[in-house]
Amino acid sequence: MPETSLDYFLADKPGAELSGSLLAEACQTLRHNRDDYLAQVGNEPIIAKLTEVAGLWRSPGYELRKIALAADPEETGFPPEVLAAGLDACFDDWTQEKFFMLLAQEFGDATRLQSFASQPNRTHSMVHGPQLIVHIAPGNLPVPVFQSIAFGLLLRSAQFVKCASGKSLLPRLFGHSLHTVEPGLAASLEIAEWRGGNESLESALFAEADCVVASGSDETIHATRQRLPLAKRLVGYGHRVSFGYVEKLACEVMGTQAILTHAADDVIAWNQHGCLSPHVIYVEQFGSLKPERFAEMLAEELEARNETMPRGPISTEEAAAITTARRFYKIRSANNVGALLWESDESTDWTVVYEDEKQFQSSPLNRFIYVKPIEQIEEALHVLEPIRESVSTVGIAASEARMRELAVPLARWGVPRICQLGQMQRPPLAWRHDGRPPLGELIRWSDLETA
Amino acid sequence: MTPFSSLAAACDAVRAFIRRSADEPRTDRFDELALGLFAFQFAHNTPYANLCRVENRTPETVTNWRDIPAVPTRAFKSLDLTVLPEAERETVFRSSGTTQADRSRHFHNDETVALYHASLWPWFAEQLIDDSPNRLLLLVPRLGQALESSLAHMMDVVTKRLAKREQCFAADGDWRIDGQAAVNFLHDCATQNEPVTILGTAFSFVHLLDHLDAAALEFQLPSGSAAMETGGYKGRSRKVSRVDLQRAITDRLGIPARRILSEYGMCELSSQAYDGTLGQANAAPRTFRFPPWARARVLSPETMQEVALGQAGLLQVTDLANAGSVLSLLTGDLAKRRDDGFELLGRAEPAEPRGCSLMNLNHA
Repeated sequence: MPETSLDYFLADKPGAELSGSLLAEACQTLRHNRDDYLAQVGNEPIIAKLTEVAGLWRSPGYELRKIALAADPEETGFPPEVLAAGLDACFDDWTQEKFFMLLAQEFGDATRLQSFASQPNRTHSMVHGPQLIVHIAPGNLPVPVFQSIAFGLLLRSAQFVKCASGKSLLPRLFGHSLHTVEPGLAASLEIAEWRGGNESLESALFAEADCVVASGSDETIHATRQRLPLAKRLVGYGHRVSFGYVEKLACEVMGTQAILTHAADDVIAWNQHGCLSPHVIYVEQFGSLKPERFAEMLAEELEARNETMPRGPISTEEAAAITTARRFYKIRSANNVGALLWESDESTDWTVVYEDEKQFQSSPLNRFIYVKPIEQIEEALHVLEPIRESVSTVGIAASEARMRELAVPLARWGVPRICQLGQMQRPPLAWRHDGRPPLGELIRWSDLETA
Repeated sequence: MTPFSSLAAACDAVRAFIRRSADEPRTDRFDELALGLFAFQFAHNTPYANLCRVENRTPETVTNWRDIPAVPTRAFKSLDLTVLPEAERETVFRSSGTTQADRSRHFHNDETVALYHASLWPWFAEQLIDDSPNRLLLLVPRLGQALESSLAHMMDVVTKRLAKREQCFAADGDWRIDGQAAVNFLHDCATQNEPVTILGTAFSFVHLLDHLDAAALEFQLPSGSAAMETGGYKGRSRKVSRVDLQRAITDRLGIPARRILSEYGMCELSSQAYDGTLGQANAAPRTFRFPPWARARVLSPETMQEVALGQAGLLQVTDLANAGSVLSLLTGDLAKRRDDGFELLGRAEPAEPRGCSLMNLNHA
């Protein structure tokens, strides 16, 4: 399908004049379309269509995938190799089994979405999704937007997706793939983009919404909350950070190369954009692999991987942030004051900084990773106290038994997601974003108490 | 040229260069002097020399001032980047910041302070002094209350040079504005029809304007009045865009835009850039220029080569007046290269961790 024929969503029409009344009308249409089709369909057909869409996206010859990968990296945010790997990781997980497992996880019984189902206490319960969800989509990664749309469809909600300015291409392409597979699914979906902060458009949109799902900075979430009427539900996902953790016996169990490969996978996935990517990898001291040596070997790994999966061009601002940080560590490294630096030649493609200082450090991203020594998990939790509330994911390299042990203090401390190193940017479909139920946050329960 | 035998000799040479540049602005001695200072700093500034050795750019290999290794300003927070032995570090200029570890330290002795003074005055005078014999309102503390502030040192020099003019310092050692003192002084200027130049940081101007707002006051300062604002808020006041600040200064104080200048300076540098001269400020594009003894270049962050005209990159400054520390600095600022200067675009280092916050309702 040539791109010129992509004309269905508001975001397909560049330069379309948006107004509050236009958005209100669009929302009314979405509601009608939802009542006419989506609200009538059972779980099975919806899940079948979603897995069909995923199958299309996985096939290298799919027209819309080819458009996505051929697009200007400035528009998608990623070079084709990185984007392709990210799309595959997402859609590999979209299977019938996993969608049904998600419904079971959230509601106990998937049929609750359509009728009352019994509970152990002899009451009967049913769940209802919002009639209309408004998404304020994150501008950095496309995958969370695809998932949000899929979740909205599972809940039979009409959806309006507001994309960040210039960031609607991938959500649009996803919307068109829904349209190809089942026009009814796309009929209750609208996608538009504008520069955030447009008071008249956003007020009109919020007035129509039954529920707003917003991703962004904590200020964005806060500002959105203040603008929403009290009765409207806001599901806000604020800023989070993640880190890796290499246990001291991991090399013996997994082999050094496997750990390096996994660490590089996490640094390369989506070029570190997104809350689940590591800023720092902590390496336990006193194991066979010294943290400094790990950093050096990770640098070699990133250099090699840049050949097969180049990072691609980044903005002047992003490159400047990397360069200023590098110069800072370069002079510290030259003076032997607890820091070492490895960097790609004549480019900002990748950077590894080893630093004695154990405090969490946020990376300028785009394949810039800190490696720091740590004695054991208790020490890690102590130095990480300042960011306790902001941690999303900890990726661990350790034997499975040791990983289970490490998970307990991490979970008690407040980490919502603990996974294997190498899987940080590949959360399962049913993962609990920021520790919250993915569908449960959006729905309302009805209980029926019989005699 | 023969290498400098002492810091005093190096400072003398730079002072001579500054004096001469008033008469012959297109001097080509810059390169020679820069390489001489580089050799001197390489010999006496150990942490800097360590960087140069790692990069294999030493006085033996560097033949062009552009190749002198640059130090990031942030390194002044953790390393003693000075040629002065510990016992001779009589003065220290510190950047503002919440903790000591968060503040840059630029060490000086009497020689280098004198060079700082010799550097700041002629360029200040060229941009901010005209025929109008303005009074001075200083929204900065007196030097005695802020010995570690390079800006307080600068204003001390300015007020001493202009000692015959009426002056008012309206900030205490904690940089709090004495709104009443400022208002009384401005009131007097207005009623006596005496033009005034107001000098301060952006946050001090915000405090002054807030005070005027709270008191429902507004001035139409006499013709010839002017303002100089220097960047940075550092959490000391709400942030106001430069355009809004300048508009408020015009609205509330009656100073026309063409007489409101911005200064670009920092404690790690000994020379300052201004974005215009009195009567011609706020032209578009707003271009900052350093004096002839400091040269700014805009570098591509990917290649560290100078960008083409109109392109953006990292701002690097080679300041001969930094004789006692490091003359080549990589600032954390993004700039656009202009014909005869640079346009400031903002900070290169993100203030907060990014990731999901890349999406922001207000900046999407």
